[in-house]
Amino acid sequence: MSTNSVSPAAFLVANQAKVVARLTDKYSTERKLEFDKLNEPVLWAKNVDDINLLVKMFMLDENIKVDFLSDLTAYDNEDGEDGDKRFVLVYQLYSLELHTRIRLKCLVGLTEQANTITDLFLGANWLEREVYDMYGITFKKHPNLRRILMDERFSGFPLRKEYPIKQRQPFNDNIRLHMGANPLQVNTHTPQEEK
Amino acid sequence: MSSFFNDKDSQQSNDFYNPNVLINLGPSHPAMHGTLRVMCRINGETIEDAACEIGYLHRAIEKLGEDKTYHQWMVYTDRLNYCSALNNNIAYAMAVENIMNITPTERCQYIRVICMELSRIIDHIICVAINALDLGAMTVFWLLYHWREEAYTMIESMCGMRLTTTYARIGGMSYDLPDNFSERLWKFCEEFPKALDEVEGLLTSNRIWIDRTKGVGVITKEDALKFSLTGPTLRASGIDHDLRRDRPYYMYPDLDFDVVVGSNGDVYDRYLVRLEEMKQSVRILQQCNKRIPNGPLWVDDKRVHIPDKLEVYTKMEVLIHHFKIFMEGIDVPKGEAFTCVEGPNGELGFYIVSRGGPKAWRMRVKSPSFMLFQGFEASIKGGKIPDAVAHLGSVNIIAGELDR
Repeated sequence: MSTNSVSPAAFLVANQAKVVARLTDKYSTERKLEFDKLNEPVLWAKNVDDINLLVKMFMLDENIKVDFLSDLTAYDNEDGEDGDKRFVLVYQLYSLELHTRIRLKCLVGLTEQANTITDLFLGANWLEREVYDMYGITFKKHPNLRRILMDERFSGFPLRKEYPIKQRQPFNDNIRLHMGANPLQVNTHTPQEEK
Repeated sequence: MSSFFNDKDSQQSNDFYNPNVLINLGPSHPAMHGTLRVMCRINGETIEDAACEIGYLHRAIEKLGEDKTYHQWMVYTDRLNYCSALNNNIAYAMAVENIMNITPTERCQYIRVICMELSRIIDHIICVAINALDLGAMTVFWLLYHWREEAYTMIESMCGMRLTTTYARIGGMSYDLPDNFSERLWKFCEEFPKALDEVEGLLTSNRIWIDRTKGVGVITKEDALKFSLTGPTLRASGIDHDLRRDRPYYMYPDLDFDVVVGSNGDVYDRYLVRLEEMKQSVRILQQCNKRIPNGPLWVDDKRVHIPDKLEVYTKMEVLIHHFKIFMEGIDVPKGEAFTCVEGPNGELGFYIVSRGGPKAWRMRVKSPSFMLFQGFEASIKGGKIPDAVAHLGSVNIIAGELDR
């Protein structure tokens, strides 16, 4: 934590400089390092396997000390602005001790599988499910990869650019109950079974 | 009879003493605060496994963010955390301003801090009052909701709306503060803490309250970190993290306030943290009320400044400018930013990827409730059903923000 003599803002600026120096020094030789509009570092991972390696390294690195996953999301790179692959995975990492943020990005192809980081951050579980739900990016070794916000019977991936905004998919309300990660046999009565 | 036993489900339906019973909480149950649903496998009254089902309030807000102009999308932010709409408005305006490299004027920043702290108070009032109501303490609800009403009336005088405020604008606010606002805020800051003291007298050392909340719904430090929880829930678990202090924005570095940190991470600590945070918010409000400067509300930036109505009706150029802002939208340059504020429930972030033009390429809302609900799913296991209800009330999950 910051000491009383240094204001939090100054503490943050000093740490940010330290982290950026470390990133340029050690991580950016083979990878692209960018800065966003807030001057925060954005590091592009080489491939999907590189993400897990980088997150692990950031967590162990004394100068970066990432210990918190702020957000995990993706966006559609349909126009090819960021590279030749279809999607970009975005990891927002935070250090509770240094108060610094690092954004990790990676290009993922349409049929490519990413690796789960639930072994490092349990909170990634639902976030990865949401990415799968919205974009159809699958994660290897994810404990429970199924739709989270949309209905299970929904077809298509709504946040892909080609999904029309007004394409609605109405469903009736009679769905099977399910127990999520550890399903048990349940005797629920569903009308579909009747006929 | 035989056909009944030959049924594929007969093993379960026949077994009356089956220890594994499924119980469905929600999505429309008064204790489930909105459209939350939990499937619990219970043994006796103990929850052995739980699975949360979300998405009942999914309105494709992120998809709409890619379809509406930056300015139009402001109204959707009200519908995220509808208990503290002001906070969402301002966080979103801040996110767009960050991409456009705009710093609001000092008066605007003070107004925004006042709004955010007022909405924090409202949100915490809802959380504490409803949590107490769920556990049977109705007086607290009446006491606190009077002040929530007062705060809403103040907000109404600021922007003409109570719940869905849409108060912020990119580069400024839709209206300046009303004339008598300072006195009203002053009165609120004087009298609201008395109600808090009363609530404290009713609950903090109340035997029934302590029995129902202490050691209930414990989220350990490690769990809170693993599940990326933020806000009062994280602080109640003993982690000193507050974006207002750690990554200061607006006038927060100049304001004097304490970050409230609990130790046990149970329902009781979360209640105490929220109560104290309301007092700290009142402190911030008092300081802002004293210091708020006169001066321009809007930034002097042609790209975003919405012209005065009087000018729009009298000058041709201004009319065209007004028309262009509303019909075409604001041209936001290419770039991206992840802007987080300390919302009432935790870190509220807007990750905007702009490829130029009036619409965002990707509008991501990082909502605290999403992570909180995930942590909730894991930490109710092993507890009792009434404890789960107490736990749910104390983390204050707002379905609008959870499902987006």
